[in-house]
Amino acid sequence: MLGFVARRLLYLVPVLVAVSLLTFLIASLLPGDLAYVILGDQATPEKVAALRHDLGLDQPVWWRYLSWLGHVLEGDFGRSFRTGQTVLQAVAERLPVSLELMFFAEIAGLAIGVPVAIACAVRSGSAFDRFMTGSAFGMLSVPTFLSAILLIYLFAVELRWLPATGYVPFAEDPVANLRFMVLPALTLALAEWPGIMRVLRSDMIATLQEDYIALAKAKGLKASRILFVHALKPSSLTLITVTGINIGRLIGGALIVETIFALPGIGRLLVGAIYTRDLIILQGVVLFVAGGFVVMNFVVDMLYAVLDPRIRHGHA
Amino acid sequence: MMAAIRSRKSAQIVLGAAFGAALFAGAAHAQKQGGSITVGLELDIPGFDPLKVGVYDTSAETAAAAIFDTLTTLDDKGEAQPKLALSWTHSDDFRTWTFKLRSGVKFHDGTPFDAEAVKANFDRQKDPANKCRCAFYISFIHDVQASDEMTVVYNLIDPSVNLPAIMTIQSSNFVIQSPTAWKTKGDDYNRNPVGTGPYILKSWTAGDRMVLERNPDYWNKGHPHLDRIVLKPLPDAQSRFASLQSGEADIIWDDEVDADNIQKAQKDPKMTVHTYAGSGASVYAFNTKVVPFDDVRVRQALVMAIDRNKMSQALTNGLSRPASNPYGEGSWVKCKDDGALPSDVEKAKALIKDYGKPVDFKMIVSATPRGRNTGQILQQFWKRIGANMEIEQVDQATIVPRAFMRQFQLTPWRIIDLADPDPQMYANFHTGSPVALANYSNPELDHLLEHARVTADVARRTDDYCAISRLINQEAIWFWTFQNTYYAISSAKLKGLPKIYGGVIDVSNVWME
Repeated sequence: MLGFVARRLLYLVPVLVAVSLLTFLIASLLPGDLAYVILGDQATPEKVAALRHDLGLDQPVWWRYLSWLGHVLEGDFGRSFRTGQTVLQAVAERLPVSLELMFFAEIAGLAIGVPVAIACAVRSGSAFDRFMTGSAFGMLSVPTFLSAILLIYLFAVELRWLPATGYVPFAEDPVANLRFMVLPALTLALAEWPGIMRVLRSDMIATLQEDYIALAKAKGLKASRILFVHALKPSSLTLITVTGINIGRLIGGALIVETIFALPGIGRLLVGAIYTRDLIILQGVVLFVAGGFVVMNFVVDMLYAVLDPRIRHGHA
Repeated sequence: MMAAIRSRKSAQIVLGAAFGAALFAGAAHAQKQGGSITVGLELDIPGFDPLKVGVYDTSAETAAAAIFDTLTTLDDKGEAQPKLALSWTHSDDFRTWTFKLRSGVKFHDGTPFDAEAVKANFDRQKDPANKCRCAFYISFIHDVQASDEMTVVYNLIDPSVNLPAIMTIQSSNFVIQSPTAWKTKGDDYNRNPVGTGPYILKSWTAGDRMVLERNPDYWNKGHPHLDRIVLKPLPDAQSRFASLQSGEADIIWDDEVDADNIQKAQKDPKMTVHTYAGSGASVYAFNTKVVPFDDVRVRQALVMAIDRNKMSQALTNGLSRPASNPYGEGSWVKCKDDGALPSDVEKAKALIKDYGKPVDFKMIVSATPRGRNTGQILQQFWKRIGANMEIEQVDQATIVPRAFMRQFQLTPWRIIDLADPDPQMYANFHTGSPVALANYSNPELDHLLEHARVTADVARRTDDYCAISRLINQEAIWFWTFQNTYYAISSAKLKGLPKIYGGVIDVSNVWME
């Protein structure tokens, strides 16, 4: 097992290098020179040239990449030219918000998706199944910015049950924190559950036709036990895959959801950095998020191996 | 605009009682003390140290208006009134301004406010070693001297007849910060600003809320009214408005792009829409050195082809106010004849026909929804008269250098709301200025600009600026589409909000009924 983990970890290195290279190139290929952004309306050619030299922008791209990478490996992701904050400080401040949001979104997505999938699988082809499959398809096509606004109007403006925007740290006031989290997490979950439900449903339909399920039924086991224990277990791999992929989608969704609900998370930091051309923050955060995603996938791979011994012995 | 200046050159200007404007403003209402409000701003505030953030945006200026004071403040009529400065005088040539400062004022950290503090703020921004982006906007000031403990002298490079009014904006250049604080806090100062203002920064979570609490030792006794102000960035227009509807915010920033919500709020008795018709405008500059804009007929034809009312309908449900000169309703420059070209498609067609060559050109637009829409509408107008415009979408940060290097045929620009037209008009139109984007030189125009900036008499200055407008409109080197209008929407209970000068929502003196 340790050898397997080590080999997998080794594979991560080229992936992370590629990620860092892409991140750097995207940020440096964006139109608009950093020197111009910093100088704003006093961007006279002489000042631009001087600042470009100070920032090292007159060096070739490969050199700038290597020196940036060198700093990153030393743990120095750079400093925002606008706020003077380091990337690590900014990320550390914002990360808990995004993690909490993603955690609740994933929980809510599973809480909706799994029961619906099981109910549909049991009565596959029924009116209920067709209705839910149809709804799932419909929900997949609703963009999050629309469902977010609709939820705000219903629960915050009309019913006044929940706040429309804002955030309170959990440590400061747990109840208020959770109230602020409900609508953003629900918005993301509404986009998550259809995927979970559709994959799990077809998986379950196949499982339910297996001989061992028939055997369990014949043994007179309770229907609920058969469904939630015997039938769900083989689908756990599927669920982990979907959940792993969802994390990536959730990061994308968080950009929009955090902006609409004014949550001070990573997504907002990134959107802000794009608007203000804060390339250092942009580069650092993208690298951080992409790196996190890669590591997340690595963890999912490891979980596979734990759950299914064939993977760590056979194909690794 | 300025009664003081209208009076007489180098007259001693002593403006009323110490608490002038602030007390007058609310005399009709009984101001209620206590309570708190939440303000929904557009953007995250990056910080307050001019060396770090350079210039403040309007969100930062809203916070700055509460934490800091300026030497002077604009009253409801747009005239400078005392704040940290009690009175001021100027030399005959308007190149030296002397301010007597208010004594007994302390920064939130206990540092006494005096002439040395004002000088230190200026010197820090001006020092070339600090490379402050903020230095550009004070390049017309040569130096600031503390002539005694409570007197500062501003020595200007370019004359300014309206310096006290220009210095009222709560920008990084003109708010007074505690020198002790930036010296002792170093890098942390940016997010821990210290001023003399009515509110003290209590806490600030990045990207979330900034909590300001009443300064119990504020020099203006009886002010401020609220115990607490919470500033929150709410970047999405829809959810910002929803936050106001649901009562989580008491006042929000808005702009005319969000016309639907503004019009909804205007019909809602529980809300107040605060509008300020400012000076300045959204403007566009032709590069008169390149084909086809080296011919005045083409420029005039394009300007005449624009129907601003239709454009306003399409862009903002008609909220945008057409502009026929660079000054606008918010300016004290009122022209009987600003020389605006008529909107006349037939005449425009005739001019293009007269020109005789094909009119094909590229126009830079900002890569924003508003920029794209504007570009497409102009494209349609110009197609009708036989001119082909190609839209070139460029992001905001690129427009500026392109404009500086004159790498454009037609570019958007902006004249912001400022208490005096001189700084921007001179920069935009005087021969040789880096932002005289049209590449146009005219001795008559130069002379008018030079004359207007050293003339104190408002009537004569107005004549100058109206002549300038006529000249620019007739030559069509720049054109204006819409005047600047600034919006805030609040709960109807919120009272005492001053005009939104420069787009800054100044909540430092409001109260809740």
